[in-house]
Amino acid sequence: MKELPKNVVLEVEHLKKLFPVFEKGILFSHQTGSIHACDNVSFKVEKGKTLGLVGESGSGKTTLAKTILYLFHPTSGQVFFEGIDVFKTFRSKNKQDILSLRRKMQYIFQDPYSSLNPRMTVADIIMEPYQIHRHIPKKEWPIRMYELLRLVGLEDYHSERYPHEFSGGQRQRVCIARALAVEPEFLIADEPVSSLDVSIRAQILNLLGDLQSKFNLTYIYISHDLSTVRHICDEVAVMYLGRIVELAEVNELFESPRHPYTKALISAVPTSKPGQKSNRIILPGEVPSPINPPLYCRFYPRCKYHIPICKKKDPKLEEILNKHYVSCFRGKEKLD
Amino acid sequence: MSKDHTKKEMTKKAVKTSKPISQWGIAWKRFKKNKAALAGLFIEGIILFMAIFGPFIAPYPPNDISAFMEGRTREAPSWDHLMGTDYTGHDVFSQIIYGAAPALQVGVGAAVFSMVIAVLVGSIAGYYGGKIDTILMRFSEVFLVMPAFLFLIVLLKVAMTITVAGFGLGLTILVLGILGWAGDSRAIRAEFLKLKEYEFVTAAKCLGASNRRIIFKHILPNVLHLIIVLITSSIAINVILEAGLSFLGFSDPNIITWGRMIAYSLEAIRGAWWQGVFPGLAIVVTVLGFNILGDGLRDALDPRLRE
Repeated sequence: MKELPKNVVLEVEHLKKLFPVFEKGILFSHQTGSIHACDNVSFKVEKGKTLGLVGESGSGKTTLAKTILYLFHPTSGQVFFEGIDVFKTFRSKNKQDILSLRRKMQYIFQDPYSSLNPRMTVADIIMEPYQIHRHIPKKEWPIRMYELLRLVGLEDYHSERYPHEFSGGQRQRVCIARALAVEPEFLIADEPVSSLDVSIRAQILNLLGDLQSKFNLTYIYISHDLSTVRHICDEVAVMYLGRIVELAEVNELFESPRHPYTKALISAVPTSKPGQKSNRIILPGEVPSPINPPLYCRFYPRCKYHIPICKKKDPKLEEILNKHYVSCFRGKEKLD
Repeated sequence: MSKDHTKKEMTKKAVKTSKPISQWGIAWKRFKKNKAALAGLFIEGIILFMAIFGPFIAPYPPNDISAFMEGRTREAPSWDHLMGTDYTGHDVFSQIIYGAAPALQVGVGAAVFSMVIAVLVGSIAGYYGGKIDTILMRFSEVFLVMPAFLFLIVLLKVAMTITVAGFGLGLTILVLGILGWAGDSRAIRAEFLKLKEYEFVTAAKCLGASNRRIIFKHILPNVLHLIIVLITSSIAINVILEAGLSFLGFSDPNIITWGRMIAYSLEAIRGAWWQGVFPGLAIVVTVLGFNILGDGLRDALDPRLRE
């Protein structure tokens, strides 16, 4: 157990996840390096709040989320959920502890097309958590299942259907119902709307918002769509190449971003008024390879504000203002 | 959270707008459209009917040699003997009907037996991966490179010298099964390797499902279509192998098999062709039937073709 500050439900400390890279030899393959998918990440999430995790593809958002839930095995670091050491619990192989932790934290996947078993009916899918956890009596299973279906905006007769008979938005509703079946306190939504029609996105996001206020859920919302992040998150963490480069409250981050990468990211959000001049910052170059990334600032090759120290040392995530963390040597300056 | 749930009204009767269709329902619809596959199913239906009801539909009992008493051995096909008679006066048509049961028993039995091994090895190797996978796959390679037919003959020869009396079909099924699983296990392993990365498997893990639940409830039902196709083609192979073995005399002499009938016909093949041609046709039709049935099933069940 660890005492967490008041209201904090999840604390991630120096989380690191490396994926080994192998090269095929004549007989055996040997490791030639590792992908630094998630490197020394620390943050806290408060009860009932939503943390947004943004960054481009390959920046390690999904890896971070899946590692928190021990769907990937972490290389090092610690995660505390309500004071419980998550990794220690999963490594302990104590079935009871693992199941009770699994019940508290759930995941909503990016692709609703592959996250439902095509051979199971919706009723089977939603009732499976009951079979695994047995937290409610068997005769209540169907009643609860119908309740969940209605809660996520589906009809009773949908329960007998198979996933392939649904649209993407309906499938995502089924996924949400399945995650809610264990009555979790904490949900990670991994780009829950990115594979859906634009017209459906708002519905699903509103559903997630309603559920949050109804059950006092805590969310980590992963997205690369900044407009939705601004809409539903309380805090935002910006990731770049496996690191959090900036972390702040949502309005603070959008109105006065400090890290050059965040600035570029926010400048790329389309404006709603046609003809409005946008000062879009175009980053030169490409993201460096996450296999053996630079030892100095990872953003250095693409940064136009760099100073000599940027190529010598690796900046740390520091609190420059109240609850505004930046990992940049020039974070305290106002850069233009 | 549960409080809010129970507050909700109790379930109403489900309203149905249209009937839900399972993946199997879709596959059956697709299968029905395939004429060749239906023909294969029809052929195997007849063979199965012969195997089950053989004693009731065959015009002569298995050991009937009344034709021999009347001096009508090696008689050409006639209304009395639709496919003629053999050297000892047996009715060839009846013998073919009696031969269906052992052919199917060995074919299906060995196919199912080898599939059980293949599923066990393939699913464990594919799901757990790592060292277990390497060991199991090297082990399966041993069975793949073994000259199977030669090995079969040696095994059966040894078995025959040990058991002097008839040893039935069990031994053939066992030996064919043990030698036939390796290729199928690799196909199943490949399917497991693919499916274990699917998000519904990750979702099940996230819900706290045990490995056993994931293998049997999530992955295996999605491999079932492959297992069905593999079994069908494996039956065809085993029917041929069984015919070959009994042709060479490695089968229980008390059981009428098509391979043995061909072997007996050889000495008089020029004069009495019906002795060998009809059992040969029976083998060809059975194997062909299973092959086109397998093709049809593959087309019907292949998820890549699914709408």
